[in-house]
Amino acid sequence: MPSATHKARLAALSETMKAQNVDVFLVIGNNWHADYLRYATDFGIQEGQGIALVRADGSTTLMLDDPTECERARAEISGCDVQYAPQLVKEARAQLMRSGNRNVAASPMHLLPYGLVNAESDVRFADGAPVIERLLMTKMEVELDCIRRASKLCDEGYIVFRDAARPGRKDYELVAEMEGFFRAHGIAENFMIIGVGGKEVRGMAPPGGKVLKAGDLVTTELSPCVDGYYAQVCRTLVVGQASETQLKAFSVYQEALEAGIKTVKAGVTAADVARAENDVFRKYGLGQYTTSEYTRVRGHGMGLFLDQKPQILEDVDIELVDGMTMIVHPNTYHPDAGYMVLGDAMVVRPGGHELLCGLPRDLFSVSAH
Amino acid sequence: MRRGLMAWDAAELPIEVIQARQVKLRSIMKSHRLDAFIAYTNISHPAAVSWISGFTPYWSEGVYCVMPEGTPAFATALSKRVAEWIGTVMPIGEVIPTPAPGTAIGKRLAASGARRVGIVDLDDVPARQARAILAEVEGLELVDSTDAFNTIRCDVDNAERALTARAAAIALSAMQAADWKAVCMQALIAPCEVHARRAAAEDIFLSVAPNLAANGRFQRTDTATTLESAFALRMSLAYKGAWVRVIQSHTRDALLAAKFASAQTAFNELMPSGDLEAQTRKAFEAVGAKLTSWFIEQPRGSSPLVAVAGSSMSTSTYRAGAPATLNVECDIDGWRWLASRPFA
Repeated sequence: MPSATHKARLAALSETMKAQNVDVFLVIGNNWHADYLRYATDFGIQEGQGIALVRADGSTTLMLDDPTECERARAEISGCDVQYAPQLVKEARAQLMRSGNRNVAASPMHLLPYGLVNAESDVRFADGAPVIERLLMTKMEVELDCIRRASKLCDEGYIVFRDAARPGRKDYELVAEMEGFFRAHGIAENFMIIGVGGKEVRGMAPPGGKVLKAGDLVTTELSPCVDGYYAQVCRTLVVGQASETQLKAFSVYQEALEAGIKTVKAGVTAADVARAENDVFRKYGLGQYTTSEYTRVRGHGMGLFLDQKPQILEDVDIELVDGMTMIVHPNTYHPDAGYMVLGDAMVVRPGGHELLCGLPRDLFSVSAH
Repeated sequence: MRRGLMAWDAAELPIEVIQARQVKLRSIMKSHRLDAFIAYTNISHPAAVSWISGFTPYWSEGVYCVMPEGTPAFATALSKRVAEWIGTVMPIGEVIPTPAPGTAIGKRLAASGARRVGIVDLDDVPARQARAILAEVEGLELVDSTDAFNTIRCDVDNAERALTARAAAIALSAMQAADWKAVCMQALIAPCEVHARRAAAEDIFLSVAPNLAANGRFQRTDTATTLESAFALRMSLAYKGAWVRVIQSHTRDALLAAKFASAQTAFNELMPSGDLEAQTRKAFEAVGAKLTSWFIEQPRGSSPLVAVAGSSMSTSTYRAGAPATLNVECDIDGWRWLASRPFA
């Protein structure tokens, strides 16, 4: 039997398919974008690529191009007809052709393979965004439970990260500690990037072999995934005692995060939250560090994808609604201290928010010896 | 998402090696009358761009384009700041950060006067990118050149052999680090993961077939926990773009454990050549194991490891001499026994 979460998702999906007059909903996924496939089938794809066809009557076919993934799907999920399809695109096309000329929608459109849309067939794909985008952004209570559990692991995980950070350790060794912690807790997926160094560091990236030394800022975002749902936390630590300059710089991030979080409630827009964060930077003459030259976003939605809509930017007018989950993070470069990060996850509520992060919003420091 | 060590080391992958690969690519461009060659990359399809350029993305997607002359271009949807990072881990290529990689490459092709362009795994490339390229050049023909690419891809250089050997060494030592006495999957795999990442693995996927008496299906730790009396651990591991797989089976039954160990020794000592199936079958028969199925994986096109020959496949595209992974399933006294290891 499908899990309670999956059952609830299928019911919601079936309703929107009906409302949008969609007969077949095609979703595609891989280890980068596993969210759409997970929503429709409950399968967390790890290797290769998968395509699922969800029909109006709820019957679902999941095709996978990796034989071991196919067997894993048969063991891990129920309610889907799982098929091994080494020629994935050709097989999906053939199945669509066999089902006749119906109203087919697909998501995410940016991953839709050329071989599907370029075939000599009369299958036309409508953009499936109206069917699923809202469902991905706004979570049901069963989905929120997963995100709450992931957030708890963010808090516990960051303590492990902090305690593992010491001079002489390589950045990828810190990642190893984190992954070991998450695997030990049954977490199969995590997203994390890291920054190590001083003012020369302009952002976070995968570890490159840098060795931690006294005075370094160490930035990270941890994003464990529970039953497909990601939560995230961003924190910065100093190897050794934080300097006055570092503390003064970090206080801007603390103020900006607080301003952003205060703004979050149902009815405001993503732009309102970004503006609240950025206004703090502008107040201190740091406005230029809120631009794309120095930072990507001021936060984002999170769920089955860790960087989902709405992106928190001053030009994004998506309205926040009850049940959305997001992280507010005024991460950017500071000219006096370097790249710093600070971010907390939350659920949007009618009068405000439910904070998911329990960590202090401090500039942490660890022994330099 | 890749989160292990991602770094370019000129000693491991000299720039001359990448240049030599690009010379080979340009030679097939010439013989197939192609004005340019394109490969798309993302986390699940990184192999072609990784081989041509030395670069693997940790996130997002991109399009790499090689012209008959000049520096290749890599257009990616990552930000300008991340583009700076790419510049440090991609030995050859001009990085173009853009929200529309296909359009950026299309403009380059238009400026060069290209009319016929080869591409790897055309059917799998996102239509958004392919169409954006086509939209920029009137009359452009995109030619699926995967077979041509695979002919040069299977001609393995020493750098790739060394990277694959390093990946295999990390994987095998990480297997030894697993807690084989554990009673739950989480405890089994956590030390294995830590060991592999401390040893600089770029990525690692672990799954467990928790009950070999029931089936050989591997599961992740988020869907199963309990280890039964016989189980198998599967690891897919990458080191700087080179992927290997390793599977080892284990049992708590002392009598059976000796037989599992003999089968593992026979498997480790196997030096596949000639009639692989006959050779493998014979090696297992000598230790009382019956081969029930097998398959070999090698890199093809943009996929890191693909089944190229096996007991359930009617044709074989296996290329001897190129790095490969042999996967087997045996019957030992009525028990399922699974194993996999890389070989060259």
